[in-house]
This record gives sequence, C-alpha cells and structure tokens, in this order.
Amino acid sequence: MRIPGYLVFCGGALAALGAGWAGFPHVIYETRPQPVDFSHKVHAEKAGAKCEDCHSFRDDGTFAGVPALDKCSGCHAAPMGTTQAEKNFIDGYVTPNREPQWLVYARQPENVYFSHITHVKLGGLKCEACHGDEGATDKLRPYQQDRISGYSRDIWGTKAAKGMKMDDCVDCHRQHGLEHSCLDCHK
Amino acid sequence: MFTPAPWRLITDTALWSENWPGIPRPARGEIKTRYTNCALCPAGCAVRARLVGEQPVALMGVPAHPLSFGALCPFGLTGHQLPYHPERLKQGPAHEAAEAVANAIAQCGPNERIAVLDLRPGRTASWTYRRAMAAVKNGVYLTAPPPLGGASVNLSAARTVLSIGVPVLEGWGTPGNVLAARAGFRLIQAEPFESRTAALADLWLRIKPGSGRALALGLTALLEGKAGPLTPAQAAAETGLSENQITDLARDLAHNGPALVLAGDDLPEAVPLNRLTGAWGESLIARAEAPVPESWKKAAPPTGFASVPDGSIRALIIDESVPGDYIPWNVIAPKLVPDNPVVVAIAWSRNGYGRHAQFTLPAAVYPEMTGDAPAAIDSPAAAFRIFTPLVPATAGMVDPAGFIASAAGMNASAALRERADAIHKAGRGTLFTYADAKSTPVKELKPEDFWKALNQGGCWMDAPGKPAAPVKYDEAAWQGKPPAPQEASDLPLVVALTGMPGAAGLVSPLMSKLYQESNLRLGRNRAALNPASAAACGVGEGSRAVLQTLLGRRPIQVTLSASTPPGVVEVEASPDILDICGAFSRARVAQS
Repeated sequence: MRIPGYLVFCGGALAALGAGWAGFPHVIYETRPQPVDFSHKVHAEKAGAKCEDCHSFRDDGTFAGVPALDKCSGCHAAPMGTTQAEKNFIDGYVTPNREPQWLVYARQPENVYFSHITHVKLGGLKCEACHGDEGATDKLRPYQQDRISGYSRDIWGTKAAKGMKMDDCVDCHRQHGLEHSCLDCHK
Repeated sequence: MFTPAPWRLITDTALWSENWPGIPRPARGEIKTRYTNCALCPAGCAVRARLVGEQPVALMGVPAHPLSFGALCPFGLTGHQLPYHPERLKQGPAHEAAEAVANAIAQCGPNERIAVLDLRPGRTASWTYRRAMAAVKNGVYLTAPPPLGGASVNLSAARTVLSIGVPVLEGWGTPGNVLAARAGFRLIQAEPFESRTAALADLWLRIKPGSGRALALGLTALLEGKAGPLTPAQAAAETGLSENQITDLARDLAHNGPALVLAGDDLPEAVPLNRLTGAWGESLIARAEAPVPESWKKAAPPTGFASVPDGSIRALIIDESVPGDYIPWNVIAPKLVPDNPVVVAIAWSRNGYGRHAQFTLPAAVYPEMTGDAPAAIDSPAAAFRIFTPLVPATAGMVDPAGFIASAAGMNASAALRERADAIHKAGRGTLFTYADAKSTPVKELKPEDFWKALNQGGCWMDAPGKPAAPVKYDEAAWQGKPPAPQEASDLPLVVALTGMPGAAGLVSPLMSKLYQESNLRLGRNRAALNPASAAACGVGEGSRAVLQTLLGRRPIQVTLSASTPPGVVEVEASPDILDICGAFSRARVAQS
C-alpha cells in the first residue's frame, strides 16, 4: 500500500516538532545530583534559620554564596537529629573535613558581574524574586547543565523560578525605572 | 525551524565559545587585601591591592597616606597586569653575561672603566651599585643628572609656581601630593604647545619652541635689576611673548611669593632664578637621604657621563628594571671602548637598552619585584618604602643588585634589611602603616616590628627639619647632555615628546584600545607635524621621512595635525626616538 505524500510530510513534521519541543529539552541538559541531600525547609522551620544566616555577606560587602563546610560544622559537628541524610553528611564531609562540591543553580557566567548587596540591601529585593521558592523546598532538585554551553538550566528559567538571562535583568530594571547599561554587569 | 531546537543550538554554540581553552577566566578564591608601594615611577605611591586567592585583581591608593593621599595614576591602577605583558623577557644568558663581566673586570686596563648605569638613583639597590663600583678596580657609578641640582620641592610652601615645560600635573611628582597642593598655588605654565598641564594651569604662556632658556634669562635680568646675558626685550623676541608679559611675570614672581620656578635638568638657569625668587631654601630645599649603614659610606660617587672620557668603558651594566631617566644610547656609545665592550642590560623587555646590549637579562616587573623607593622629588622629607611583591616573581628572573654585587664579589642579599635597621638605629621620623593608617614614632618600635611593618605596607618618613638650601649646585659635574644645538635654521623643529618618557613602554597591555591603538596616541616612529611645518619640510600625510637630530637619524612616518604648533615635531617617547633626541631636542624632518 502506498502512503500518500501529504501523510508522510505531516508525519515527518509532527515527529520533528515533537522532537524539537518535547525531546530536545531532555537531551540538551545533563542531570547531576547534588552531593548532599539537603533540606532548606527543615533548616528554616526547625532551626529557624533565615536565608542570610547561611548565605551571608562578608565584611567588605561581597556575597559569600553557598556556605563553606565550617559554617555547617558549627552545628553539625555531631548529629543533631536521626536522619540518614545528616549521618551521611557528617560521615562523608564533616568528619573528613571535605568541602561538598555544591552545584550552584544560579551560577552566572564569568563575564557577568552581579552584586547581591546592591540588589538585596539597596534595592530591597527578596531572595525569592530571583531564586523562587528554593528556600522552602524539602529536597534539593537535581542540577541540570546545558551540555553545549555549560550553563545551568536555571539561567534559562524553570517552572520554579523565572530565568536569569540578560533579558530578564533588563526587563526587571525597566520595570523599576532603573538604568541598564552594558558596563553595569559586563565590567 | 518551528521548534526551539535550532535557535537554542545557535545560542548555545555561541555561549560554548566562551568556555574554549585559552579564554581568560577570573580567579576565584578568598578575597584578601595586601599593601605595597608602586614601583612604576619615583613617586612610589602607597598601594592597596585586592586579591582573589593569591591573584591581585585591583589596585587602589591608601587615602590616609601623608604624601600620596590615596591617588594612583592610570599606569599605577593597572600595574598588576604588567607581569603578563607580551613583550616581557622570560629568559636570558645570565651565566654567560656574568662570565663576560668577570673577564672584563680582570682585563680592565688602567685607563678603562667598569661602569654601572642606574636609571633611578637613591634606592638601596643604587647603594649596592655604588659599593660594588667602589670595590671594583676603576669602577664608576653612572646616573642621570638630577633636576634642579638635586633639590627637593615643597609645593605646599609655594604660592606661585612657574613651570618651564615641566609636566607638573601629568606625572612629574607624586600625583596625590600635587593635586592636594594645587589649590594653594597659582600655576603658570610656559610651554610651546597646550599640554594637559598647560590646559589645567591658571595661565598658559605660549612660548616659542626651545625658548625656555631665554625666558629664564629675561626674568633673571628683570629680577636682578641689571643687565644679564639677555635683556627683557631680547627675551621677548626669542620667546614670542611681549615684553609686558615678561615684565608682568617677573612682577608676579616677585610680589606673589613664595614663588617657585620648575624646570628640567636641561635648564640650569632655573637655579639662579629660584635664588632670586627666594625659593632656594624655602620651597626648593635640601633633603637628607634616608640613613644607610656606616659601612656603606665607602661607595663610588654618582657621576655624569660628561665626566667619563670617550672610549673608556670596558664593561657597562645597565639596571633598566625600573623605569627612570632614559639616557640616549648615542650619548653612551662613544664612552665605550672601541674593541669589544661588554654591555649587559637587565630589563623587563628588549625594547630599551637591550637593543644595543650583547646580553639582555630578564628582570622582574612590578608588582612581582622587591626593592624600595627613595623620596620623590616633591617629598620635603626623606622617605623609605618597600615594594612588597604581590605575586611571586616569574622563574629565571635576574635581580640586578644581586648580579652586580656578585660581579664585585659582594653579597647584598640583606641590603634592604640592613638599610631598615640603619633607619631604625637613627631613631628619627615616624612609620606610617597602611592597614590601620597610624603614624608611630620610630623610637617606639623594635627593629623587628619596624621591618615587619615596612614589609606589610608602611612608609618611613623623616622628621621634618628646618628648610635649608642645597649645599651646592655643581652644574659642570652633570653636563651629560648633548652639545649645544646648531643654528636654528639647520635644525628648525623642536621635538615634543609625548607619552611617558623613561617608562620604555611599561604600560599595561590591557589599557583601553582607544589609548593603545587609536590615532590619539602616536605609534612608534610616527611623527605629527603642523601642515605648515610639513609643507616647509616638503612632506605630507603618510610620507616616509627621516627625523634628523644632532645625535642621529631615525626613519619616521608623518601624520599631519593642526593641533601641533608650527615649528614642533611631536613624537612618541619611545627608546628609539629618545636615543636620538634626549632632553635637548631640535630636529629636522626630510623626505627619505
């Protein structure tokens, strides 16, 4: 039986569209697990920790980012609870004094300068404005990295948070009537 | 086409190129602060460095510093990029050079000399050279003549400053100190063309090129009230000013004092003029040098090239590791013995004396070098600052002081420490520490603490004494400049040097492309001429021509510029050009 040409064309077009829209986003990203099974929710609710308790500013105003092991060891030198995740963390990192190799969702490329203190202290932005509800999650989601560019998927935006592309920065600055020249970020 | 895939692939591929090998990446690590002093010019400004890990990423001034006041010039701000300069020397025949110097010392005849040329005198390394030359048979320590007879300048004691061609506001003294004192004096700039200093001066007197001497003599005649070598009328004719302008200027100097006259080392007439204005001993003062150990004082005296007979230098070692006064090679070359002289240049690149030396040895550059800065020309008191390296020196670098000391059979590796101990022993002055901005009398410090503080960013400043005039000004001893010019008709143009004379190109390779490559900055061997001057010389835009001076000739390419005054040829102060121009610069441009 000979298949009509228009059906072949439509089938091919549908397959291409499906691959482009549905398959491609799965293929382009490489998924890697975080080194530690960390719960922001537990730390916020049980320990009463605020974002800036761990993600603090240094004395000179620079942002320390992900806390170093010393910060974690301050509380977790010995187990505080009974969870397997905490035990694994202490055995795997605290006791051997080994820094966890965290995969930073919001890591900007090297050619971008971003000042946290300007946005948080001067602009009064909440952490959630850029990072979504990460601080309320019970489990760290896997880190997804673009196989070609090496960028985090979060830069492009996820369901949880909007993106951190240049256009997103410019849009926000436009909405707030702020300047947005090249040298603000590309110094 | 109708899915995100191809578009995303295009973007991703572009972003991928950012991560290719060879793309520079900013350092990551702990952010630290370290203090040092800038070694790029004799000002030796205090520097606060921001480091990421061990990598300096930004340099800035130290605001509370008593002399530099937190200011750094553009070259100093970008100094941390210099170790990566593409023209840096990475290796050199150090053993062969040491052997050649040792042979030259052994074979040195009674009328021959072993010489060291120091481009920045007054450092501890300079004392090492002087000691080494005293220890070597027929050793001579050569240096450039100091401006204003070696006097230091106290700008804050002056109310009127007449500058005859001195770039007061663009790199002459300590930038922060000059700017801090600027509000207290009226600046009169006498110069043939509108330099940045002329543009920022309170009064710009546009004198004819090469007529600074006539202006000084005319003013001297008016202030002395008796006839001198030039009458005011003759001075007016030579300078292109009116007689009234010169009279008004003399009145300004006499009545709006204390008045100070600044001039380069090519204008000794400024010294008697300063005696007449009362600056000599008030704003032009003698300054004691920072103490040195007693055992160092048996050292060779500083000597000008004029005192060295032609054809007498068997071996010449040139310390070009720090930018300083560049002495034209055509002044040096006649002093060398005709048969196989040994010339060793210790330099950061081959672009300076390395072009003429048999051996060019690589030297560390700021901020990886160790050394010290003597007091700047505008420092009223003696000072001692150490260049603490911010990054480790590149492997294979030659320490000029170590090389010269070892040629003389000395060990000078602890010279800096010995000097610091001598200063501490003298018990004078205060130590200003950069990290806490505190001044502590030296008497209250232990030697170990004094040394430690100097290495962590500190400046010793001598106790201020009563201003005194320099003991003497021996002009004859410093006549290292070329002979007097021929008739103006023979060499009708005056050479105006642009850029940073003496730096020999030691400018960050990453300074803006506008500065490095645009037509706003003359390239090497390019000369700018006013269209009228160019027509008189028979050259036009882009012409290949020859720049002829008393010291030699160099091929150039002509650029026409209406902003260049008639009678002036503007050239980049590259070593090639300095070799034939020097401080005294008249020239002719002719079609090649």
